[in-house]
Amino acid sequence: MKIDLPPPATFTAMRKEKDNIADILRAVVDPELMVNIIDLGLVYDIRCDDPFTRIDIDMTLTSPGCPLGDVIVEDMEYRLFVHYPDTAVNIRLVWDPPWTPERLTAAGKAALGRA
Amino acid sequence: MQQIASQNAPSPRVVLPHFIFGGLALLAAVALTALHPDMLTGHYFSPRLLGLTHLIVLGWISMVIFGALYQLVPVVLEVRLYRESLAYAAFLLLALGAVVLATAFWHFDLGALMETGAVLAGGAIVCFAANIFATARRSVKTGLERDFIITAIIWLLFTVGAGITLAFNLRYAFLPVPHLELLKLHAHAGFAGWFLQLIIGVSSRILPMFMVSHGMNRKKLEWAYYLINGGLLAGIVSLYAQWPPGVQGGVAAGVGGVGFYLSFLAEAYRKRGKRQLDTGMQQSALAFVLLLVPVLLLLFFQWSRSLPAQATLAYGAAILLGFVTALIMGQTYKTLPFIVWLHLYRSKVGRGKTPMPRDLYHEPAAVWQIRLFAAGFAGLMTGVFLQRTVIIAAGGALLLAAVVLYNYNILLIVGHRPKKDDGTAPGGRDPKS
Repeated sequence: MKIDLPPPATFTAMRKEKDNIADILRAVVDPELMVNIIDLGLVYDIRCDDPFTRIDIDMTLTSPGCPLGDVIVEDMEYRLFVHYPDTAVNIRLVWDPPWTPERLTAAGKAALGRA
Repeated sequence: MQQIASQNAPSPRVVLPHFIFGGLALLAAVALTALHPDMLTGHYFSPRLLGLTHLIVLGWISMVIFGALYQLVPVVLEVRLYRESLAYAAFLLLALGAVVLATAFWHFDLGALMETGAVLAGGAIVCFAANIFATARRSVKTGLERDFIITAIIWLLFTVGAGITLAFNLRYAFLPVPHLELLKLHAHAGFAGWFLQLIIGVSSRILPMFMVSHGMNRKKLEWAYYLINGGLLAGIVSLYAQWPPGVQGGVAAGVGGVGFYLSFLAEAYRKRGKRQLDTGMQQSALAFVLLLVPVLLLLFFQWSRSLPAQATLAYGAAILLGFVTALIMGQTYKTLPFIVWLHLYRSKVGRGKTPMPRDLYHEPAAVWQIRLFAAGFAGLMTGVFLQRTVIIAAGGALLLAAVVLYNYNILLIVGHRPKKDDGTAPGGRDPKS
């Protein structure tokens, strides 16, 4: 069976783009906790296609029904739009697996006083 | 994308007047406490104390709870508020009803003034209850928070019904039970049925959210729900039937329910993701410490042979001016800035430098407010227990200073306007345009 894998150069470029997207999203801060969404571990998955026309992000919130959820999502959409005006951005809120404090990065733990 | 909470939020114009009026009513109440400390040295059934109590429970506590629920019920039930117009009507009726009823009690006018106040406050509560029930009917969300809120409103309706019956009984004396026993029934339906259950229903959702707590045992809340409601029902029926063992059993069940709730909160605190409590949460934590005062006094009442008047006064003051007031003041800092901030800056987030919700109030004033409040409450309790008007007046003055700072911060938050350079767009069209 033949499996179509992207050529290594494309794979590397996509990896770099995902890192770039994560860096952009570090500017999105939860206004209650004052910690960015990457260090909070809210972003589960970032996918982009080849050619670069679409970004899909799976993310969660620290609590279902968080009243600031849509502010965070709108902030993400705007920041990605500024950097990728010709790319469609699709952000999907997921609750499975639920967020737990174990998803915090070391920087996130330090910001919440858990370090 | 799945619908999320703030899309269901009502207009700030619905919510904000409740906080402004509530803050001013509390200001008037603590000013009256400082100016008339003798109110708290006599029997609890006295005209001025009844006037002060109704100003606090209707003008301050119920007023702010109404406003907060219009914001929080859509979050808990994930549906829009049924009618904003009903909320405006409830606000106007409650504001007028609180002032008229408090004035009627203060001057012990049992005639048209008290009846007018009762009808206005009753009308407000019917509008509010209808609005929340209709909102709940449209929601498919189920859960214990919803049960607590709905049951609390049923107890509120019962409390008002009992209050109106009492007002008529005061004039026509048609009930077979002594009036003071009925007053206990009315007060406890309000304290434990309305305030406490409402607080449990809302706080069990939002306090873990603010502390980023996960993995608590929610069975404790189920126990709290059944024990408090069962205890309250048994206690009220036994009070009416004048059957002391039933009252004692009801108290034991209710206190057990409060214990389960406090255990849930303690677990949430231990498992919190955010280690440092901010100013609003510090004052909320103080409220739960103060809750121990009325709980211990309630146990003392059931198993002591004599009932000193000052203990009864301290019990009421510890609930209304201690636990409930401290919790509402603390949670104001967790909700009001977000309501205003969402309204002013939601469309500007990410487009430039915007203030954060906590930047909308004066943090040192909030810190001093907690210190003055704690000192004032301690002074008030000491003065009531020792029956010394000078100490009560001093405690009242400290509480007044705390409430002045609280009102100052409310006005800062509500009056906040964006600066010209807030949220300057870096360029480009909106992603949704």
